[in-house]
Amino acid sequence: MQRAAEPAPGRRIGLPRVHVAGAISVLCGLLLWELASRLVVANALFLAAPSQIFAAIAGLADSGELWRHMSISAVEFALGYAIASLLGVVIGYAMAESATMKRVLQPWISGLYATPTIALAPLFILWLGIGIWSKVLVVIFLVLFPVSINTEAGLRTTSERLIEMLRSFGATSRQIFFKVSLPSAVPFILAGLKLGIGRGLIGVVVAELFGSRAGLGRLIAQSADAFNMPDLFAGVIVLAAAGIALTAGFSWLENRLVPWTKD
Amino acid sequence: MAPKLQIAHLGKSFGELRALQDINLVVERGKFFAVVGPSGCGKTTFLRIVAGLEPASSGEVRLDGRAISGPGGDRGFVFQTDNLLPWRTVFANAIIGREVAGRVGPVERQRTLELLKLVGLEGFENYHPRQLSGGMRQRVNLARALAIDPQILLMDEPFSSLDAQTREIMQTELMRIWETGRKTVLFVTHQIDEAVFLADRVLVFARRPGRLRESVAVELPRPRTLAVKRTAEFVRYVDHIWRLIEDDVRASVIEEKV
Repeated sequence: MQRAAEPAPGRRIGLPRVHVAGAISVLCGLLLWELASRLVVANALFLAAPSQIFAAIAGLADSGELWRHMSISAVEFALGYAIASLLGVVIGYAMAESATMKRVLQPWISGLYATPTIALAPLFILWLGIGIWSKVLVVIFLVLFPVSINTEAGLRTTSERLIEMLRSFGATSRQIFFKVSLPSAVPFILAGLKLGIGRGLIGVVVAELFGSRAGLGRLIAQSADAFNMPDLFAGVIVLAAAGIALTAGFSWLENRLVPWTKD
Repeated sequence: MAPKLQIAHLGKSFGELRALQDINLVVERGKFFAVVGPSGCGKTTFLRIVAGLEPASSGEVRLDGRAISGPGGDRGFVFQTDNLLPWRTVFANAIIGREVAGRVGPVERQRTLELLKLVGLEGFENYHPRQLSGGMRQRVNLARALAIDPQILLMDEPFSSLDAQTREIMQTELMRIWETGRKTVLFVTHQIDEAVFLADRVLVFARRPGRLRESVAVELPRPRTLAVKRTAEFVRYVDHIWRLIEDDVRASVIEEKV
């Protein structure tokens, strides 16, 4: 909420109002939730009230448990996300550059993008053990495809007129790539990376549910086993907050990097 | 005067369609040539061949005596649509031709800044294209072509997307800019009055197949102002050219309806 005080230039009117409406909406939702869990359900086995959840988050943070789980999940996510981003851009580039590569790779990309690869997590755990690498692999599988599909689309849809403009100056194909195709694909690549955030976070947690020593998924699973609803919800809320923060950070980055797509 | 551009027996076919047939032409150094004709007469194809963006089917184009075989930094192309890179500032757009040539030192920067000033964009160097009007974007388009200091300027209906008033302003602006350096110019347009106002010579193209029908020398005194458009002499030139292409224009209008 700190950012609402200093909105990006050019959005002075819209942004604070959206934030105020959003904040009121969230507060009302929390209030209803609190009332429902105290007055309607009134059973800590079925539903935890927001006040209990925030107390649980504070308790977990105090004991250091929260940081231990968060850092493991964060490392798994960051590694998988970074590898998938690099690989995705390279694969997308190869598909945009070579028709043969596209024909070879397209069925795999389309097929695996549509497959719920998350269901393969138990298999990855069998292969790679319950350490971080099985989760990294799940994240790679989930993030790779939207990034490569978007990179390919972005490079392929580069305006012919802009390419011709550069060609009229006698530009080489390398210059055309770096001065026109790549910059004009950046909005697409960023959109693919943004899609990957949500998919990657889900991948980390679900893979941890299947088998892990630590991580937010582990926290959620062991809290569920112990019927500790406040801790379970604490894990979920922290994850949601991470997703919101990462996506918001990404939107900020988009405004900085590709402002021309916003009009 | 020394010939800057020589075109001999130039022909172009797209499959069965003969877009251009046997064009022969000499453009002297420092002259402003306009090309007019009905749609489908191949005038844009002609310009694209000179730019090297399109290969000729027959004949040849020589610039300063050398046959051209592809695009190059000796020709500056001003596009019909501005084709500015939206992520670059006005300055970065204007200097891109220099970048392609691999030379961007203080001299090139200084020259680009001076050109932006010349086309009336001083103070807008750090703006992005989306912040500019159509007329200003076309000024950047022109500065970008001039920034490589080309031997010849090739202009493809650069003012056709502008409203009538802005177009007239841009015509006088182009005359003012041209008077400062007297580059050799080949200017394609479908507007006869624009051609007569700007050019030393108007090349009138005919269609089916696209060919050079007549080359009209315009002997109106320079520098020209918009007032010249209301003189009897100016109107005589326009009438003469209109009569040359009238039947072709009617034929192309009927075809477009069908």
